[in-house]
Amino acid sequence: MIKISRRNALAGIAAAAAIATVSSTALAAETLRIGAIGSLSGGGTAWGLAIKRGAELAIDEVNQAGGLSVGGKNYNLELLMYDDQYTGQGGKTAAERLVFQDKVKYIVGPIGSNPVLSAMEVTTPQKVLLMSNGYTPKILDNEHKASYNFRFTLTNLEYAPSMMKWVKENLKVTKVGILVPNDAIGQSVAPPLVKLYQDNGIQTVVDYYERGSKEFSPLITRLMAAGIDGFDINFNAPGEAGLMVKQARQIGYDKLVYQMGGPSVPEIIEVAGQHSEGFISYEMFDFDAPSAQPFVKAYAAKYGKGIINSQTPAFYNATKILIEAIRRADTVDDTTKIRDAVEKLAGYDAGVYGPVRWTGKAIYGVDHQLALPFYVVEVKNGKPVTRAVLSVD
Amino acid sequence: MLSMLTNPTILGQIVVNGMSLSSIYILVALGFTLLFGIMRVVNFAHGEFAMLGGFAMYYLYAVFSLPWVAAILLAPLAVAIPALFLEWLVFRWFYQKMFQSMIGLLGLSIVMIYSALLTWDAFERNIPAAFDGILRFAGVILPIDRLVTIGVSALALGAFYFLMVHTRIGLAMRAAAQDVEIAGTQGIDTRKIYRVAFFVAILLAALAGALYGQVYAVSPFMGERPLFVAFIVVILGGMGSIPGAALGGLILGFTESFLGTFYGGSVASYASFGAVILLLIFRPWGLLGKPE
Amino acid sequence: MNSTAETVPVISKVRLGRSTSSALIGGGIAIVAALAIMPYLLDERFFYHIAILVCFAAIGASSLHLIIRTGHVSLCHAAFIGVGAYVSANVVMKLGFPFVGGLVAGTLAAAGLGLMIGPVILRLTGKYFVLITFLFGEILRMVFVDWQSITGGANGLSGIPAPAPVFAEPKYFYALALLAATACVAVCGRILSSETGRFVNAIRESEQLTECVGVPVIRTKVMIFVIACGFAGFAGALIAHYARYISPPNFGPLESLNLVIMNVIGGMQTLVGPLLGAIFLVLVPEFLRGYVQLQHIMFGVILILVMAFLPAGVVGVKDWVARRMIPHDRRGEQ
Repeated sequence: MIKISRRNALAGIAAAAAIATVSSTALAAETLRIGAIGSLSGGGTAWGLAIKRGAELAIDEVNQAGGLSVGGKNYNLELLMYDDQYTGQGGKTAAERLVFQDKVKYIVGPIGSNPVLSAMEVTTPQKVLLMSNGYTPKILDNEHKASYNFRFTLTNLEYAPSMMKWVKENLKVTKVGILVPNDAIGQSVAPPLVKLYQDNGIQTVVDYYERGSKEFSPLITRLMAAGIDGFDINFNAPGEAGLMVKQARQIGYDKLVYQMGGPSVPEIIEVAGQHSEGFISYEMFDFDAPSAQPFVKAYAAKYGKGIINSQTPAFYNATKILIEAIRRADTVDDTTKIRDAVEKLAGYDAGVYGPVRWTGKAIYGVDHQLALPFYVVEVKNGKPVTRAVLSVD
Repeated sequence: MLSMLTNPTILGQIVVNGMSLSSIYILVALGFTLLFGIMRVVNFAHGEFAMLGGFAMYYLYAVFSLPWVAAILLAPLAVAIPALFLEWLVFRWFYQKMFQSMIGLLGLSIVMIYSALLTWDAFERNIPAAFDGILRFAGVILPIDRLVTIGVSALALGAFYFLMVHTRIGLAMRAAAQDVEIAGTQGIDTRKIYRVAFFVAILLAALAGALYGQVYAVSPFMGERPLFVAFIVVILGGMGSIPGAALGGLILGFTESFLGTFYGGSVASYASFGAVILLLIFRPWGLLGKPE
Repeated sequence: MNSTAETVPVISKVRLGRSTSSALIGGGIAIVAALAIMPYLLDERFFYHIAILVCFAAIGASSLHLIIRTGHVSLCHAAFIGVGAYVSANVVMKLGFPFVGGLVAGTLAAAGLGLMIGPVILRLTGKYFVLITFLFGEILRMVFVDWQSITGGANGLSGIPAPAPVFAEPKYFYALALLAATACVAVCGRILSSETGRFVNAIRESEQLTECVGVPVIRTKVMIFVIACGFAGFAGALIAHYARYISPPNFGPLESLNLVIMNVIGGMQTLVGPLLGAIFLVLVPEFLRGYVQLQHIMFGVILILVMAFLPAGVVGVKDWVARRMIPHDRRGEQ
């Protein structure tokens, strides 16, 4: 019995290993794989699905148009995505598998400082391109000079200065309450945000809560007792942000509620319902813009009419930029050439955000940060209405 | 700080927040402690039954637009009756096996979460509030949906208390919780008792989920927090003790509300964990449990 | 793996005294040994990575197994791994010590913390011990998040150096990890087969009875706990210098629970259990990874099935097969 079970175990593992290697070589003639890493489990799942769906929509477009022709060959694109469980360890293992087992040359995702930083430890030495998003400055400002990775959404360092200018001029707040999660995002963004408020002569009251909390009334009561006239629900996950808006109104807070970052206006309207009226927010994508309609339609056709996470267009954009760079570099293997092509892609319009512009040199020492337009929206009659379109300085 | 303590508005707020937090904690914890007390099962999937309760409420009230009273009565049944099939398929293998049940039911929890994710996607859904007003009473602001939550929980607790104390089946359940073998020799059908206890526990969890989903939001991952809280409430009150679960829920709800308001979120978490650890060291069987 | 092969059957004789069990354990060790050399045969970087993860898991799970054998299931073992990881990273990066210094400091720090809390929490038994360690693990995780100057907060510590430049290559790090895991498992096996090991088994069966025959129960339990926490810290130091980036979720309650799952899935009765459990819990998700959105559902179903049909863990698979498939008259041949 023991012999059999041992042989079975070995045979099973060997067979699985064989299948994995065969499938990656035999199909390579006409299939080109794009790797993806994102959270498909736990609280970050909405973000992981945003990466998956954004990338799939971009890939579908290319395949339906007859594939990608590079170096005289025609490739059918395929997405290979692994879960990072929103942890560093998970990001590293997913990257190891994509890079060394599946021999993938470019990866979209992940989202979140922990998985991005640890995936980068694997991809950068192997010259694998990483098209990611996370709030810590270390993603671009590191010992590798971010040589093979790019960031596709703005962080507070990019948008906060012009957003603050707008807030100061239009909202006239004097003392602002801020609630942030006690996690990688909260700890990255709260200190510079507080400093920014202070530099603009606005007082702040900050409190942290454990990620996953649903009851904020005690903390909001505390902020109200401190006499705030503005409540900035800054970088909270969509569901939590929605609950903060709802609970603030329910316990009788009647002053301004707004959001300087972490955009999730549709989700907040869904969760807070009528209490979201008058809520003002930073928004990274305008789903109602005419230019966004093809994307919105394609999404609804493939994934139903649920709420579209605002990271989805960002990763649709990232994948399209990657594909265009491969086309222009005219190689599928030389990632250095492809990276150079990405850097030189200024002016290319992937269709959802307008022309590409790279920035970041002043802050991180490298121009690998995508500059995107962003919006200030206000909820009126249950709909987000754009109040201003701002840009990165 | 001092001015906050003497401010009746804020004190009133703390009490209302504390009560509504407590009432949901108690509902989740009661079922959890019942399953542990009678079957020695650590139901790591308990939060997921609350999640299903939330989705049941979402469909009955927000989608099919049933009257609220009908929805809140039907939602728990819509979860607990099909759950009896899961009792037969999964739970019965794990009765009286503490560690195996912990891991096996963790597996069930994973299956339930990710099946829900495939079915309902990851975004959070809102169940429109049925009673969306504010009562102002002597300067204290009372959100009506919180009051309704407190009321429904109190009714459910009352019904549960009646079942356990004044009915034959309740007596049998209490006997089984004390010693299942002796209960068996006294002619109690333990298989039936298990099924009734399971049904009641899931009913309470699903009711908690329906209320929780309406006050907060509904998503496949919404069960994690209630389970975590149930775990702590049950430690606090004493594993397997029903009045303990009620007292534990009250204490945890009020601690969170009180410390959160006065000292902020971080201090509240450290202080409540520290207090429970001290309690465990000096009185490991919990506030109202019995030493073994 | 040689030393494991020597020590584990000794336990099995003491514990069960059945030749079938030693054959089973021999088989288990053969599987473990075969898997240990497999990465070198396949020589693929990703397999080295997975094998290294198995080694880390094996150290964590087998050291936790020591505590479990005293009848206490700790739900904060990963937090001790975290203590080792953060201490080692700081000693190397901030104080400039070489890797060995970090390894020693990480091990001692975790063992020291174990020594501080052990005498207090080990007075509790059964479910109360599970609960208090769960809470203690949560508090340690919160400390990892909040003590930003030492731990880097929720963003974690990055840029931790490899033990030596050559170990930046997983092929060579695997040799180091395999050596560490073998040594750890050997020490655990040695302890369990010594007189202390017999005390441990006696304590699990009845603390009061053991106390009566003159065994220093609390002292034995604390000693075992401190050794196990030391090994956890040791694993943590290795993890920090392999992953080179650490953050609080790596050491949270879910990871602690995973180490318990390894023991329960593998089998809580013998040291082979946690080893099989470590292999199981690292490899199975890896096989399922390709089924992107179904992988977690499949993993959950596997957990349910294993626990429902093999309550004694994977180690019990032979008994189960024997019961169902082999006719009575052939059982003698085993």
